[in-house]
Amino acid sequence: MRRLLEFILALALSGCAQHKSDEGRVLIGVSLLNLSNEFIVMLHRAMETRAAELSVKLIVNDAQRSADRQVQQVETFIAQRVDAIILNPCEVEASSPAVEKAIAAGIPIINVNSETRAAPTAFVGSRDEESARLAMEYIARRLDGRGNVVMMHGFMGQAAQIKRDRGAKDTLAKFPGLKLIAEQSAEWDRAKAMSLMENWIQSLGAKINAVFAQNDEMAMGALLALEQAGLKDKVIVVGVDAISDALQAVKAGRLDATVFQDARGQGRGAVDLAVKLLRNEPFEKQVYIPFQLVTRENVGDYMN
Amino acid sequence: MKTWLSRFGLVIALLCIGTALSIVKPVFLTFPNLLNVVRQISINGILAVGVTYVLLTGGVDLSLGSVVALSGVVAAGFAHPGDWPVIVPVAAGVLVGAACGGINGLVVTKGRVAPFIVTLGMMTAARGVALVVSGGKPVSNLGESFRWIGSGAVPVIVFLAVSCVSWVVLSNLRLGRHLYAVGGNENAARASGINVEGVKLFAYTICGALAGLGGVVLAARITTGQPNAGVGYELDAIAAVVIGGTSLSGGVGGVGGTILGALLMGVINNGLDLLNVSSYYQAIVKGIIIVGAVWLNQRKEKS
Repeated sequence: MRRLLEFILALALSGCAQHKSDEGRVLIGVSLLNLSNEFIVMLHRAMETRAAELSVKLIVNDAQRSADRQVQQVETFIAQRVDAIILNPCEVEASSPAVEKAIAAGIPIINVNSETRAAPTAFVGSRDEESARLAMEYIARRLDGRGNVVMMHGFMGQAAQIKRDRGAKDTLAKFPGLKLIAEQSAEWDRAKAMSLMENWIQSLGAKINAVFAQNDEMAMGALLALEQAGLKDKVIVVGVDAISDALQAVKAGRLDATVFQDARGQGRGAVDLAVKLLRNEPFEKQVYIPFQLVTRENVGDYMN
Repeated sequence: MKTWLSRFGLVIALLCIGTALSIVKPVFLTFPNLLNVVRQISINGILAVGVTYVLLTGGVDLSLGSVVALSGVVAAGFAHPGDWPVIVPVAAGVLVGAACGGINGLVVTKGRVAPFIVTLGMMTAARGVALVVSGGKPVSNLGESFRWIGSGAVPVIVFLAVSCVSWVVLSNLRLGRHLYAVGGNENAARASGINVEGVKLFAYTICGALAGLGGVVLAARITTGQPNAGVGYELDAIAAVVIGGTSLSGGVGGVGGTILGALLMGVINNGLDLLNVSSYYQAIVKGIIIVGAVWLNQRKEKS
């Protein structure tokens, strides 16, 4: 037990020592929603690349979807006296105290990718409603404005689910010939989406003309179920996020479309904004990075 | 006799729900849909059979979901087209699972740490290793022969094979009787000369190996190894086992009940989707059914 304590102490001290040697450089604390999510991993990489280019040092923490942990991480950043904080919020409400505490401590804080109720110093991200609007408009175009659509939701109550739902339904309202005949949560999960689609194929079968999945993981699950049932030719499948699997599937002509959310643009944008703030340069308080529809025609532009 | 009675109760519950569903939604009782149900339960079923061993000894395994993810990404890493014959990724996945289970078993028996804590630690650690191994990204582009494992009726056949072997082990082999003895009364089992530590180590290793197999089937079914797959699968598996009448305190239960428990959960899932019940209400219904089924089982056992 004592040896364990010594070990932990040694680790902690070596961490401090490292911090000392970096003195003089700009230090930015980053708290990310969840590093086991591919999109957040891409966001993280973009930040690290940009930080290296600007020779800024990042301390990156993974909140693992817990807003509570996220608030603690920001408290630690404040205690460390970082120069700025980049927050990739877990929750609209529950991550708000993190923003409030940073502002109260006089440390600029930038929200990236999603919002909090409390207003940060600046925001970089995309309008989630727009992604669903692009997807639904594509479905409407392909179906000439007439047909039956099913929608797979993410985790009910999360900001992305609520906004993509709103964007999809607002768009559906503009096309009276499009009917939403079923909607259900598959919790952003590929295996769950596959089961859900299999069940829908049983209950709705040939009535389904198009599937809108609120992320690509679920779109891939729906696609697999439709392919195994031999129905893919008759049903349009669209996802959101442009993860690499989905891009491959679009390229191969399996998935009809996905919507690209610019992780690189958001990550770079957040670091750029932080540096501008610290240099007292003029900055925009809200930077919106647009979504882009990806189909077979333009998929090459998004693959590397 | 008692377990037979409680199993009979489950069969009645299944028949009632099935009849009601096929009246409201005739499509429920078609061959493609029933194949659907059994295919959808096969991964949870494989995990549930595995954790039955551990629960019978009076232990618990919370690391299943993370082990599923870890073995899935490891197997997928060996399963790119033209890489290796399909046996290699399958064996790699199962062995990784068995290793995780073996570590759980060793720490429980030699380290004398409570199973809840040991497997909770493994749940976190295995998830971390899965993320490290995969770099946080899904491992995709898997070969045809590997994907075959997750297609058609293959997952169902794997589940049936696992169930049959486990049924033989638990009800006919000496090892199986020892498992019940350890779970029923550990001290009595030790006094009668049973190698309690060995039996427990076996239970955790088998449980881990089957979680590994489940991870392989899952990766094949969704055609990718996902480091964030399987979150919460351990609870679904444990729910299936206890619905099937296996006691959380050990010594009572078996594989037959576990299969029925998994089937009940699958039928409810499928039924709620067919009826297009809102996601909010689905969660409530599932919760009530889990507790209700166990409560009914216990009443039957007492009477």
